[in-house]
Amino acid sequence: MLLNISDLSARVAGKEILKGVNLKVNAGEVHAIMGPNGSGKSTLAQVLAGREDYQVTGGSVTFEGADLLAMPAEERARAGLFLGFQYPVEIPGVNNVYLLKAALNAKRKAAGEPEVDAYDFLSLVKQKMKLMQMSETFLTRGVNEGFSGGEKKRNEVLQMLILEPKLAILDETDSGLDIDALKVVAMGVNSLRDPKRAVVLVTHYQRLLDYITPDHVHVLSDGRILKSGDRSLALELERRGYDWVRENRVA
Amino acid sequence: MSPAQHSAALRSFEEQWLARAPGARADALSDLRERALQRFLQLGLPSAHDESWRYTSLRPLASQSFTDAPRAAAERFEQSLALEQSRRLLGDRPAAEAQATTLVLVNGYPLLPLAPGRTAGLEIHTLSALGRENPDLLVRHLQPLSDAEELRWLLLNTALGVDGVHIRINSAQATPLLILHVGTAERPGAVAYPRVIVEAAPGVAATVLEHHIQHGAESPLSNSATLLALERDARLEHYRVFTTGERAVHFDTLQVRLERDAECRQFTVAVGGGLVRASLDARLNEPGAKLDSRALLVGHADRHVDCVNVVRHAAARTVSRQTARAIASGTSRVIFNSKVVVDAGASQSDSQQSCRGLLLSPSAEIDSRPQLEIHTDEVKCAHGATTGRLDPNMLFYMLSRGLDRQTAQSLLVYAFLADVLTGMSQSAARGAIESELIRQLPDSQTLQEFR
Repeated sequence: MLLNISDLSARVAGKEILKGVNLKVNAGEVHAIMGPNGSGKSTLAQVLAGREDYQVTGGSVTFEGADLLAMPAEERARAGLFLGFQYPVEIPGVNNVYLLKAALNAKRKAAGEPEVDAYDFLSLVKQKMKLMQMSETFLTRGVNEGFSGGEKKRNEVLQMLILEPKLAILDETDSGLDIDALKVVAMGVNSLRDPKRAVVLVTHYQRLLDYITPDHVHVLSDGRILKSGDRSLALELERRGYDWVRENRVA
Repeated sequence: MSPAQHSAALRSFEEQWLARAPGARADALSDLRERALQRFLQLGLPSAHDESWRYTSLRPLASQSFTDAPRAAAERFEQSLALEQSRRLLGDRPAAEAQATTLVLVNGYPLLPLAPGRTAGLEIHTLSALGRENPDLLVRHLQPLSDAEELRWLLLNTALGVDGVHIRINSAQATPLLILHVGTAERPGAVAYPRVIVEAAPGVAATVLEHHIQHGAESPLSNSATLLALERDARLEHYRVFTTGERAVHFDTLQVRLERDAECRQFTVAVGGGLVRASLDARLNEPGAKLDSRALLVGHADRHVDCVNVVRHAAARTVSRQTARAIASGTSRVIFNSKVVVDAGASQSDSQQSCRGLLLSPSAEIDSRPQLEIHTDEVKCAHGATTGRLDPNMLFYMLSRGLDRQTAQSLLVYAFLADVLTGMSQSAARGAIESELIRQLPDSQTLQEFR
């Protein structure tokens, strides 16, 4: 098993947001976590990536059998976990490609591999940028600096394609995208699908799932996974709304 | 006040004056110097009661005695060291060219011959020669004496300054001019008074770099002063860079005078020195004058960096920009005091002051105080000051990509400084300044690669 979340609870700014999340992800699978605003989807993603100001108050998470919660954020990344941010951070003055290269080399170093050759790296980046339909001007700009919402999301997927994580958690990567950009992002994610990798899509709407077909769909509400199913659950949610799940549970 | 009531420091300054009194000859220059000294002695050393000295205490200094920094050091200084510095700051170039555009002042004494191999369009004289040949011109540049607390040390420089250089730029200069200030002393307690006067003739464009370095383990207290006088339409890019040792003390005063449509872009970089007080006194005297001043102030260990700017808009349609980036780590303290004065009649003036501070340790301190004094309507004056720690969101973003914490922090510090650095048009100078900055940051090796 790649990821095993067991009874995970977490607190943000003194408030309990996750209240016992259970989730198992195997290599080769694509999971979608859906849920209403404020249900804890983003908190779950950030906790998994290792955000320090989010306090884990109970439960456990293993990643390839290792205790994920004991690892600092940078080690999680090097071990193969990738978080695509809902709001990618702008870092003026730090070159976009430099960050990518430093990230890739950090991962390679941790795996005992030599640093990537500068020429090979650049051709790899250019090839992936083409796939993401990004202009080469992004090579020289600061990290996400002055990027539009859609450009930021493409940049997240670009980073993912370069780093080739074992587990990619994409936090609302579809939000704010028009239909063309959504297709490009979906194509990027699909190109990474592989029997050895897994993807967790955190999303509010099911429209992304028209382009990336999930193996499992979960509904997160009030800090717990209330319902799990296959792709048809997403369609049903679309039709009946999140209240249906909540009412169903009470009933 | 009689000498007996002065502090040890003031008494020693007065003794320096008495030792060099010009004897019987009393000309306009010696009269000016005498008045400057008396004024300084009367005002005394600045104290915490003086507004612009609130954060910088001179009490430890007051109890010391100072003697003139040795002139002999100038004769022993190796030209090859100057050449090496010149190449570092301005890029590799033929020795003859580098020599022609590098002036060396050791403890304030110009190293002769000044700029061997004349450069077309530059007139360079020592101040001692100018004082003999054209004392009126020198007096004009040293006047008027000011009581302003920010300019207290300038009075002393005017009184006790022994020598310096006067540069007149008569035609556009493709090659930057480097003025290397070397401080060297065998024991503590020496004081040097370097003085530089730069005149830019109408319409010329040029770059002048002043680099303050230390040679050997000790350096004198450096009470330096520079005047940049830009005539109509002149363009000047000026750098003052302090990279001296951790015990060095600098009181540096930079005066800028701008005539009609003249433009000065000024960079102040404090990455060295134990106590650096860098003053800027700028006057935009005629319509269309423009000043863009940018400061990189870096405090490490227990260093103290105090930058105080006073920019006066004395004519209509004048424009000023003041930008500072301050970083403080260890128990250091960095101060950025900036003041804009808009005179009556200086309508349609446009000024901006911005200071951003970055605290890298809980025991470091950054104080920034933008001030405005406006005596006319119809002006555009903006100011802002923020100080904080590294942005945790940026840091987490980089960590989540696998970068180690130290590298991520260093990158963010570097990025913080980047927008001042990128404004530097001299790429070699910028590179040398970057190296110096990076050398003092954690994880410098990774950062070198980043460039």
